[in-house]
Amino acid sequence: MAKEITGYLKLQVKGGQANPSPPVGPALGSKGLNIMEFCKQFNARTQEKMGTVLPVLITIYSDKSFDFVVKTPPAANLLIEAAKIKSGSAEPNRKKVGSVTWDQVKEIAEVKMPDLNAFKMDSAMKMIAGTARSMGITVSGKAPWEE
Amino acid sequence: MEYLEFKISCKEEFIEILIAELAEVGFDSFLEKEDGLEAYIQEDQFDRVAFQEVLDKYISMANISVEEGRMEKVNWNTEWEKNYDPIAVGEEVYVRASFHAPKEGVKHEIVINPKMSFGTGHHATTYLMLTHLLNLPHHGKRVIDIGAGTGILAILSHKLGAATVEAFDIDDWCVDNGNENFELNGMSHVKMGLGTVREVNPQGQFDIVIANINKNVLLDEMEVYETLVKPGGYLLLSGFYDHDVIDIEASTASFGLSKIDQMVKDKWCAVVFKKK
Repeated sequence: MAKEITGYLKLQVKGGQANPSPPVGPALGSKGLNIMEFCKQFNARTQEKMGTVLPVLITIYSDKSFDFVVKTPPAANLLIEAAKIKSGSAEPNRKKVGSVTWDQVKEIAEVKMPDLNAFKMDSAMKMIAGTARSMGITVSGKAPWEE
Repeated sequence: MEYLEFKISCKEEFIEILIAELAEVGFDSFLEKEDGLEAYIQEDQFDRVAFQEVLDKYISMANISVEEGRMEKVNWNTEWEKNYDPIAVGEEVYVRASFHAPKEGVKHEIVINPKMSFGTGHHATTYLMLTHLLNLPHHGKRVIDIGAGTGILAILSHKLGAATVEAFDIDDWCVDNGNENFELNGMSHVKMGLGTVREVNPQGQFDIVIANINKNVLLDEMEVYETLVKPGGYLLLSGFYDHDVIDIEASTASFGLSKIDQMVKDKWCAVVFKKK
């Protein structure tokens, strides 16, 4: 018989760097999950993406066991990284308004595709560009479909 | 250690954006809620100006409201820790907490009260490392446990007859917990140290060097581990999946260490290397 699911937790944690600090500790601990077990697994599974903020969806079962799925990095994080590359910003902590190219938007859309079921590339790119606009990041040049 | 707690409510489409922006100003993990997010940061790492700049940029667009609080570091794992089963490793080792009844007739009983530190014997890597230790000669030997967590591996080495045992961890909670566990197991003469292997800078060489951490740390510190192993001594590594053994072995081979044993459980791997 399948185990009964009692809840879900959505966290974003840096790859390879989960530790029992908040919010990981209190969020998992209050549900009776073994925090240390989660951290060990998460860090081993995400070691190739060390330091990148990764969304993780944790499924909690009635016997206090859990499993989790690590998603692709959020478009917003990828946009910040891309804007930094383009502008060569030496001030990662400040002044983030910048621009990215459509090629960069396409690269981000390709990374995000596994989490955007059955999305067409153009739709994914429009979505990424929308997020960029909300963040004050302009997309320079003409969109591929305008050419 | 205290954490600052920010419960931020905002429009759904801005949750991801705020998380990305806050990650740029020092926050490293987040809890996503339906109506916003929760972000925490150690007080001494908090840059209020940078944080406020992020909020100001989105405050009207995203309809942001913020509730700030403060949180003391406590043992958040108590719920799990108050109700788990003891575990037997083979015929000889039995690992239990203080609240479990002792077991008669066990050769090596280890008492661990974990307090948010890693190493109760339940995780495959700990289980496999305990099993490897049972197969190695300990009598009169010098052992060091790097990234010791609860101290469980060091404790078994002591019980197997090691002459001296050293242990350390980068987490001050583990150090306190490790010392409590050492006392529970008749090792109050051993004091767990704080820091990475490079910070602690252990003196001399060891017959058995133990490290159950993770692949990135092991690869980074391998050059130090190699210098710590006596000629003819052993290096025990775990904390990685079986598909990562190839990378670990490439590194150990470059330092002249040869693999003599490998065990896998639940896809986790633990390997014993020997130095010529």
